[in-house]
This record gives sequence, structure tokens and C-alpha cells, in this order.
Amino acid sequence: MSCLSNPDLLVVGAGPAGLYAAIEAASAGLTTVIVDEGISAGGQLVKQTHKFFGNEDFFASVRGFDIARRLLKELSNMDHVHNLQESSVIGVYEDGIPVLHLPSDTTRLLQPERVIVATGASEKFLQFDNNDLPGVYGAGAVQTLMNQFGVMPGRNVLMVGSGNIGLIVSYQLIQAGVNVKAIVEIADRIGGYEVHANKAMRMGIPIMLRHTVIKAIGTESVEGAVICEVDENFRPVASTSQELAVDTICIAIGLNPSIELIAQAGGEVKYIPELGGYVPVRDDNMRSTAEAFFVAGDVSGIEEATTAMIEGRVAGLTVVKDLKGNTDLKKLESLKRELVAFRNGPTSARIREGLRKLGIVSSSKEHQYGNPNNPEKYMGKMRPVIECYEAIPCNPCETSCPTGAITVGENINDVPVIDYEKCNGCGICMTECPGLAVFMLRELPEEESALIGIPYELIPLPEKGEKVHLLGREGETLSDGVVQRVFKSPNKTHGVYVKAPAEIAGEVRGVSPVSKTDNTYVCRCEELTVQDVEKAINDGYTDFEELRRRLRISMGPCGGRTCRLNTLGMLSRKTGRPIEEFAPGVLRPPSIPATFRSIAGQEGAKDE
Amino acid sequence: MSRLAQHPVIEFVRGKKISFEFEGRKLGAFEGETVAAALHAEGIRYLRSSPGRQRAQGFFCAIGKCSSCLMEVDGMPNVRTCITLVRDGMVVRRQKGKGELLE
Repeated sequence: MSCLSNPDLLVVGAGPAGLYAAIEAASAGLTTVIVDEGISAGGQLVKQTHKFFGNEDFFASVRGFDIARRLLKELSNMDHVHNLQESSVIGVYEDGIPVLHLPSDTTRLLQPERVIVATGASEKFLQFDNNDLPGVYGAGAVQTLMNQFGVMPGRNVLMVGSGNIGLIVSYQLIQAGVNVKAIVEIADRIGGYEVHANKAMRMGIPIMLRHTVIKAIGTESVEGAVICEVDENFRPVASTSQELAVDTICIAIGLNPSIELIAQAGGEVKYIPELGGYVPVRDDNMRSTAEAFFVAGDVSGIEEATTAMIEGRVAGLTVVKDLKGNTDLKKLESLKRELVAFRNGPTSARIREGLRKLGIVSSSKEHQYGNPNNPEKYMGKMRPVIECYEAIPCNPCETSCPTGAITVGENINDVPVIDYEKCNGCGICMTECPGLAVFMLRELPEEESALIGIPYELIPLPEKGEKVHLLGREGETLSDGVVQRVFKSPNKTHGVYVKAPAEIAGEVRGVSPVSKTDNTYVCRCEELTVQDVEKAINDGYTDFEELRRRLRISMGPCGGRTCRLNTLGMLSRKTGRPIEEFAPGVLRPPSIPATFRSIAGQEGAKDE
Repeated sequence: MSRLAQHPVIEFVRGKKISFEFEGRKLGAFEGETVAAALHAEGIRYLRSSPGRQRAQGFFCAIGKCSSCLMEVDGMPNVRTCITLVRDGMVVRRQKGKGELLE
């Protein structure tokens, strides 16, 4: 038991940073105790269902919960590691560090040689009327319910904040079958990566810039939300307010580093807004100003899981050096270089500025922007169209390509460039891209159409031959098409290939099953939906009589009383011509459903 | 609210079916769920009333950080139900204010 109460290393927090810190320390032979409050290890990884960015050495394109599984498996094979779950560090005291085991309500005093604080962060809270109402949840809470426990967080959600977390969670809500009414963003631009925003918009979620939430409606649970525009000083403009019928308000406005233990240990903390608020002062080996205490992950500045894992390893290797006198310096230096490389893109500008205030130098680089898409020479060849124009630290497209056709290059923040000569059109990049930003395209000029491959992560997965709606970049229906092929990928990002008219081939970026979404009827008798009528108008039937012959609209038992005016209105809106210019069609008898018996059986017309 | 039966990416492996008591009602849950998640699955979001103004409150962070989900569990007040596993036969009550001290 002595190694449990006097370990070489105590790691507080079993998230990506803590687990990796423990792996480095334990594999060098240090006795290591991990303390974590959760019911199982993995921290926030266990509820991350999206594929990670970054490069393949750090689990790029692997989903978060799979990363947690792999790290835990690695740890379980190691000696010298004790993992205490459902346990909280109460504080840092002069005589040691008491750890409370929550289920038994008992404490145990630990006296470790070194401590790595990997306590993560907590949700920032937003001020608005009734913001304490049940149903106002942090984005992480929504993920926990939905992705860890499979419990629906609500039916209709308002998302507040368009940073990466707000965008990713919105998309995940759709995957769980929850409706996202809107994403409101107080700034005048979207906060997160462009590819994440595109994913959410493709699902038809409106992103309302310069908007915020000002009130939650309800008494014991959220029943609605009031949102409104803000002025240039971010103050709500009351006259613009509108009510949304939602049962959940999800707050995704950022995270606060959980620095309590470092402060109690005597470590200096400093307010650095670029890193999320108060953060521990530390060096590039992750050592705080309290000699025996290290930090790693979000507690040292809000960033993301890939850098958290690298920081955990840096801290772990440095503790090994402290206690054993030496460590794998080559590995340590290469990890620190990885951190610099990961952060040298434009999306890490804030992080670099924050680190600069801590005296940690990071470099930025100019980025090459290629235009990979669609040189005319390759028309008619099946090939990827990569809609990745923002320099973000990510390269699975490059590393997954079996023919070496895609290059991101040494600088992981560069955008991909594709060599269509080498590309064999396999579509693997489409299923590997964490941003779902790769589409496949092959023009079929003889048919005036094109084959388009769409990355798809929803259920049910459409089947070959199934009719689907073809959706544009904002989830709008452009036309209908038929699924030509389904490429099932083991990583659950599948490829759905559809045929679309040539003129919209560059616009189709999603598909949705016909039956599921299209229940908005224009014509009750013939069961014709808005999409059916719009599609016919788009196809060139711009006259009421033509539409009637094409769709049988107004030819059912109601005689057109229900649908005629609405159809004329749609024609008018679509064509820009006033309703009066359209002929309303001939009003033929019978004007009500009547049997031949009733007609033939009229008085005075008896045969006998 | 309810539990997801299927999901495009995640396979939910649920534990044994158990039951617990909430405010005198018998509710179902699965082993491995937290008290807060099990209650939410049954449509219960209102977990406690605040000490000062007796307002309805639920969880906010669901990871043990915000202490907004404090409830009375098996007679013990101030339990963070978002990181406490539900157990068969557990008795859970909405906490009023700061909770009653144990005798």
C-alpha cells in the first residue's frame, strides 16, 4: 500500500492529458496514481463522437471515444499504475493531498513526489433571464447525456455559441435525432472551423450572427427561449426579439480552466483571456511555478484534445527526468516541436498570443493555399472535390490516400492539394476527412448529369436505388435523385453516391431520405408535397395546366379547391410573375365526388 | 425524454435493468447510468429547489463541476447526482435548499 499513498506521481484527472501523462510516467517505471471524479476514465473523450483533427501519430480521424479506449487499454497493460475512479482531490494541504472516494465517503491521504494537474475545465455560464431553469445546459452536459448515456437531451434545442463545440454538438444533436432550431452567435462571424460550420448548415441549421439569447421561458423546465439581435456593443436590441419553441437551451460559449489545485499548491496564476481566463503560469515543460506541480490539457489553457495529449506526454516525460535523473529527451523535444507545429496555423493565433504572455514562444507560418478542385482536364473522371479552404491543423486526407495523390505537406496547417493524375477515385479521403469536407464528383456529359459522392453519418443509411432529396450547402432541397452506390466504411462515415442534374452538381452537398422529411403537403388528394411541386416547377413546368398534367395536382376528389391557389402562389413566387397572369385551369365537372349511379339514377330517367 | 435506441456512430451497451425510487415513484434505470442521466431519461429535469428563492434547478455541467445537481440520495444530502451511479433500490429525493443534516 505504500506505493499507493506515496507514489512517485499523482495525476489528477483521467482525460486525454492525464492518461497520456500517466502512460509516459508508468512506462518509465514510476509508480503512478490517477485520481478521477468520473464514473469511468477518459474524461471528455468518452463523449466525443466526431473524428479528431491533427495527424495520424495523434489519432487524427479516430473518434474521441475510441481514443479513450485505446489509451485505457495501453494503461491496463502497465504495472505501477493505480486508477482511482469516482474519487476527488479535495485540496492541496501541507501534509498531503486528501482524496475522497465518493461512493464510500472516505478519504485517503496521498504524499506523492510529483503531481500533474490535468483537471480540465468547466463550462462558462451566460447571463440571461431565467438562466437557472432546468433545461439550460452546458454543451458538455448535452454531450454527456446524449453520447455517453444515450439519453435525449430534449426534442428542440437552441444552441448558443458557434465555436467548434457549439457547431460539433449541433451536428451531433441532429445525429441523435434532435431538432436544432438555430445556433445564435453574438459576434458577426462564426467562431469555429469552416468545415464544422458547413456540416451544421448542410443539416439545415440556421446560424444567426449578431444574435443572443435573452430569456428562458418556463417555470420548472425550459419551454421556450427569447432571442434577439445585438448592437455593435453586443447589447440586445429588444425590438428585434423573437420567441423560439425549444425545450433545451445549450450554452457553448467557452470553457474556464479548473485551476484550483495549482493555486492551492502555491502556483502562480495569471489572467490570460486568450487561454480561457485564469491559467497557471508554467514553462514549456508544463511545470508550474510550484516546483512539484505540473499542468497539462485544458487546465493550462483551453485548446483541444490533441494538444492536451501532447502536453500530458511532455509533463510525464519531464517528471521522469525529475525523479530518475534522465528521460527520453529526443522524444520530449520532438513532442514540443509537434506542439509548435500544431499551433502555427491562423486558427491558433489566439493560443499563440496567450502563450506569448506566458513567455512561451510559438511560431506561425505563411500557408500555401492551393486550388485543388475541378480542373477541366479531369472532367468525367471520378475524383474528390475538397472543400477545405481554411488553414486548420489536420491531414488525414493525405495520410489515408492509398495513391499519394493528396498533399498537405510538412506544415499540418496547410490546406490539401490534390494531384488528379495520381488519384484513382477510391473515395477513402471522403470517409476519412474529420470535417466531412471531401465530396466525390464524376461528370456524365452524355446524360447531362453527374455522379456525386456525399459523406454520410446519419441513420438510416440510404440504400442503393432509393430516392432521396439532394440538398444544398444550407440543407435546402435542390432536386431529387436516386442513390447509385453506398460505400460502407468501418469508421461509420459512409459514402452515398447519387446522380444529379449537371447544372447543380457543384451545389449538392447532402442527401435526405424522401419519406422522412417531406410531409409538407400542397395537395391532399394526390399527396403532393411542397418539394414535389417545387421540383416540377424547377424542371420547367411553369404553367398551371402543365403542372396539372405532370403531377395530377387539382385533379383529385376535391377538384382543386384545396391546392389550386397555393399552387398558383408557388408558381408566382418561383417565376416572379403575378398570379393573375396564370390561367387557373379548367374547372371540370363533377365538382364533387359523385357516383355514376347517382347521375344515371336521376329522377325521370328510369329504364323500366 | 427518452433513451436512444440506435445511433449512426455509437453503440450503447447498457447494463442490467434496475429500479430506484424518486419522490415516492418507482423508476427504471440501467446499471452504469448516473442518477441525473437516469432521471433525465424519465423526463425529470427539476432536481432541487434553490436555498434562497426556492427556484427549480437541474444540472448544468453534468461532469461534477458546477454542483447544480445536488440531491438527497439514500438520506444523504448534497450528492452530485451527475457523477453518482444509480443503484438498485436507491432512494432519491429532490433536495430543498441546503438539505437536511444527518441525524
